[in-house]
Amino acid sequence: MRKSRLTVVFTVMVLVVFIYAFFYARFTGVADWALSSGEADKNVIVILKTSNVRSDFWQAVKGGIEAAAKEMVVNAEIQGPLAETDANAQIGLLEAAILRKPHAIVVAPINDYRMKDVLGRVREAGIQLVLIDNPIEIESPPVAISNDHLRAGRLAGETAISMNGGHPKAAIISDNVDVLASVQRKKGIEEALFGYTDGIYGTYYSLDSEERAYLIAKSLLSSGETPFNTFITLTESATLGTAKAIEEEGQAGKVKLIGFESSIEEIQLLEAGVLNATLVQRPFNMGYLALKSALKLESGRSVEPDTHIESTVVTRLNMYSPENQKLLFPFNENE
Amino acid sequence: MLFGNRRPLLPLFPLKSIQSSISFAFSCLILVTIVVTSLISYRLSVDAVEQNATGYIEEIIKQVNSNIQSYVDNMENISLLAMTNKDVKYYISDNDFISTEERRVYEKRISDLFQAILYTRQDIASIMVFGYNDRFVSDRRITSLNPNADVRNAPWYKSAKAAGGQSVISAPHVQNIIQNEYRWVVSLSRELRSTDGISPEGIFLVDLNLSVINDICRQINLGNKGYVFIVDQEGNIVYHPQQQLIYSGLASEKIDEVNAAASGASFTTGEGDGKRIYSVQGTNFGWKIVGVAYGDELIANKDTLSRSLFLYAFFGLAIALLLSVLLSHQLSRPIKNLQKDMKLVEKGNFDIKTEIGQMNEIGQLGRTFNMMVGQIKNLMEEAILTQEQKRKSELALLQSQINPHFLYNTLDSIIWMAEQKKHEEVVLMTSALAKLFRSSISKEKELVPIRVEIEHIKNYLIIQKMRYNNQLDYRLDIAPSIMMYRSLKILLQPFVENAIYHGIRNKPEMGLITIRGYEEEDRIVFEVEDDGLGMTEEKLEMLLEPVGGSGLSDPLQSGSGGKGIGISNVNERIKLFFGEPYGIQIRSELEVGTCVTIIIPKLD
Repeated sequence: MRKSRLTVVFTVMVLVVFIYAFFYARFTGVADWALSSGEADKNVIVILKTSNVRSDFWQAVKGGIEAAAKEMVVNAEIQGPLAETDANAQIGLLEAAILRKPHAIVVAPINDYRMKDVLGRVREAGIQLVLIDNPIEIESPPVAISNDHLRAGRLAGETAISMNGGHPKAAIISDNVDVLASVQRKKGIEEALFGYTDGIYGTYYSLDSEERAYLIAKSLLSSGETPFNTFITLTESATLGTAKAIEEEGQAGKVKLIGFESSIEEIQLLEAGVLNATLVQRPFNMGYLALKSALKLESGRSVEPDTHIESTVVTRLNMYSPENQKLLFPFNENE
Repeated sequence: MLFGNRRPLLPLFPLKSIQSSISFAFSCLILVTIVVTSLISYRLSVDAVEQNATGYIEEIIKQVNSNIQSYVDNMENISLLAMTNKDVKYYISDNDFISTEERRVYEKRISDLFQAILYTRQDIASIMVFGYNDRFVSDRRITSLNPNADVRNAPWYKSAKAAGGQSVISAPHVQNIIQNEYRWVVSLSRELRSTDGISPEGIFLVDLNLSVINDICRQINLGNKGYVFIVDQEGNIVYHPQQQLIYSGLASEKIDEVNAAASGASFTTGEGDGKRIYSVQGTNFGWKIVGVAYGDELIANKDTLSRSLFLYAFFGLAIALLLSVLLSHQLSRPIKNLQKDMKLVEKGNFDIKTEIGQMNEIGQLGRTFNMMVGQIKNLMEEAILTQEQKRKSELALLQSQINPHFLYNTLDSIIWMAEQKKHEEVVLMTSALAKLFRSSISKEKELVPIRVEIEHIKNYLIIQKMRYNNQLDYRLDIAPSIMMYRSLKILLQPFVENAIYHGIRNKPEMGLITIRGYEEEDRIVFEVEDDGLGMTEEKLEMLLEPVGGSGLSDPLQSGSGGKGIGISNVNERIKLFFGEPYGIQIRSELEVGTCVTIIIPKLD
């Protein structure tokens, strides 16, 4: 009889201990575990070429990154130097980012001789690396999302062919011989125009100066009967300079102008009919895909090593289609 | 025959003890119950939360809807204001103005009106009127139109014209009619009619900043991933946070389902983590506003729910298991006790009385067990007693028998002495033999006074002495004080017989047998000592070995073997009668002699 009373007492004690432990746990660590929802947020640091709000292109990239971050529920911190050419500032940001050990870093690297070393260190720190826009060559190439400049060039060449009834004679105005994007665009144009007699009249270099492009175009146009029918300008500055020369010479519409990228000036030239077509990139998609790839890498899934974003040919006729409006006029969310 | 080898059925709980079987059964039962209830309550809670969440989304989308509707209504009101404004009517009417000065006045008045409206409404980007008479006025004093933009071909212009006086809402677009201005707007356009309401005279345009709608949609919080999008009548996307991705084919939206859904309807797509809940609300201007929430977020604490349920279930389980162990222990303990006691009984301990707790089934079992053990014990005791009794009488019978050889030899001696005419000796021997017989066959009890026993042994020794003539002598040294005590009948004779046959008969010289009797504390000690040949160890052991099982046939053989009825039998008889502490001891040495000590209790 005594024994069974002991059992009852023991049972009650154990019960009390259990209940106490449970309620105690509710207010401490176990409760955090039980009541926390979902996994810990992932951190991705994105370093663009510039964080300047005036840069429509990079703001659109940012928009794409934000859209992906919302969809995937991650923390994406977007940084960048104020000027697109400030390699020092970008390297500084990268170094700071490495120290914070995020899950992944997405970089649009500015061309600089030190960049390879810094990107190497990102990988040494065990951080997933995704390059966008400018896939600079480093050992065991990281996942890169970039614009397909070669294909854009080919599209430009094809546009030149169709605009001139199958007889393209193009003068190319590039910026520099060593800019990867321009080199690839030129290569694409050459591929498209290969086989056409005098398909390419000549290639000129404006060194990314609107003034120089203007002078080149002016001199080409003022020599009486032009031996070519199309300007293909590989940069925005070249496009604007050339357009100015065409307008001054009254050759709008007669000499076709095919440009790259988009800005308000270019849009107005499109509307005015001076610029006949421009090849517009999709920076939003680039940002979106970059962050998605970074997260895929982080979770160990296989990722296409090279993703190319295609460009679109925008002409006066299709510039106000719903799709192209979105590309030409980035809707600034902070407006 | 076919089923000749059938194995016995396996028990339901193949465990050794009842306790573990009970605990196991309880645990299974509890486990199943808790798991089932947990699952059901989890399912129910999730359903409830989901339902709540769906209702909540519907409410939010209704709110968005009414917000956007109010902006559109506002534009509509502005358009009505313009439509009914006499200045506007007059300005775009077909009648010719006398002078441009007069026209300027109208322009200024209308422009002021529009400006006044614009001041009060931050959401409106611009208000314009385009007359079919090529007159044009806007909310700005000086408006330079985009020379490259063809107003008449703009979608809003054409659709307003086609709508014939009804207001038309455009999809968001970039308004390019003003030079150097490219704003994202939603346009409301409407054809203005003359006062008679018949002839169309111009198009009125109000542009709403898209950022207004954008902000409304963006500020809606439908979880981290949830979002709002808008489609128009044709199913074209008016607003979508991932519009560009959809255009590029990187993302897709359930436009068809949304088109098919009625206003106020909700539907879900996907399963598991990808589950999404769409809530559709229609507007009176044709747009459908759709809220999309992700299932895993709606039930924001789905994980929490399942984990806390798991915790509760775990704790419940732990307590229940503990209880089941305790309970089964409680139940099986009396059985275990009983089992333990049974084990003891198995080992031969019949003094066990198992403890009986409550008078339940097990208590009754215990009681029956106790009764059974008691009975067994009684029976055992009885059996032992019977056995002892039997043995006692056997042994007594054995000893009371006169060895026939002894009888023949004695009679031979008597005959021989009679022939020699030794009358006196014949008389002595015959009378001794007669006494010997009398005491042997006397029907008296087992116990006789020591005096009688001494008398008996004296007669025996007389006969033996006469038989062995001068080879044997004896001495009796009995303390007179013990004469009154009682002893077993024919106790000493086997030892004397032994001493003669093994000790003295084969001794060349005269042998002496000394019988002593004295008391020692509460015991009586007899010693039968001879100075014969003595015995070897082996012989001693042989002597002490019990003779035969029944021992009844032995005395007939023992005459020739000279073993008598066996020392060991006497020893057994003493022990049976008086108990363990009593019995005999033999001390023997070759060439010196043998001394047997017999110890019995003092009995009055």
